Amino acid sequence: MVYVISWDDFVERSVQLFRTSPQKSRYVMKYRHSDGKLVLKVTDDKECLKFKTDQAQDAKKMEKLNNIFFTLMARGPETDITEVTGKEQTAQPAKRGRGRKQ
Amino acid sequence: MVRLQLDPFLNELTSMFEHTTEKGSVWVTLKHSSDKSKVQRNKITTAGKELEYKCLVRATDGKKNISTLVGTKDHQRFQASYATILKARMTSLKKREKKDKRKAANVVDKKLSKTTKAMNVDKKQQVPVKRSSTANP
Repeated sequence: MVYVISWDDFVERSVQLFRTSPQKSRYVMKYRHSDGKLVLKVTDDKECLKFKTDQAQDAKKMEKLNNIFFTLMARGPETDITEVTGKEQTAQPAKRGRGRKQ
Repeated sequence: MVRLQLDPFLNELTSMFEHTTEKGSVWVTLKHSSDKSKVQRNKITTAGKELEYKCLVRATDGKKNISTLVGTKDHQRFQASYATILKARMTSLKKREKKDKRKAANVVDKKLSKTTKAMNVDKKQQVPVKRSSTANP
């Protein structure tokens, strides 16, 4: 199984995979309370990416990924997810204050 | 596969998490789908109309299967409720151990420093109150 070590790598590749084949890709989450383990899988039935963890901090990161996928799947694969990830690509120019009126 | 509305789905998902506390797993799958067969999809696209996509969410505990469709308008609300359920239920994951070790070390250091400090006698210092008299003519 293709287990990805880095979280950011997993997020980037899985979003890319979904954008490439939105009809076939699916995002699976498996949680076992008895073992305290969480496994995430993103696949388009050709390529498969997995991520496993037992850390509570990764659950928080997974929530953000959930938000990304919900937005992509409900609105369409072409949706701009910059708002969801919190990264602003288009920086609005800061309003410059008017100089002292002389 | 039982197809439910949004809120009953969330309730069922919560009960699944409750049932699998001691044994078993919960699987949740998210998929981009239009919920129509290939024939229907082709008909719609040839008619020139746009196909409406939704997010299909499936959940299972190994025995029971439930599913729901989340549309564009509902996805914010569903997202929030889903996040709440996960936060409340995923309690068996490990928390950071490094922070605990640091805290333990700090507590030990503080105890040592307290015993070595000498007690200072407090002397009440009388601070004379100066009143500035400003004579205003």
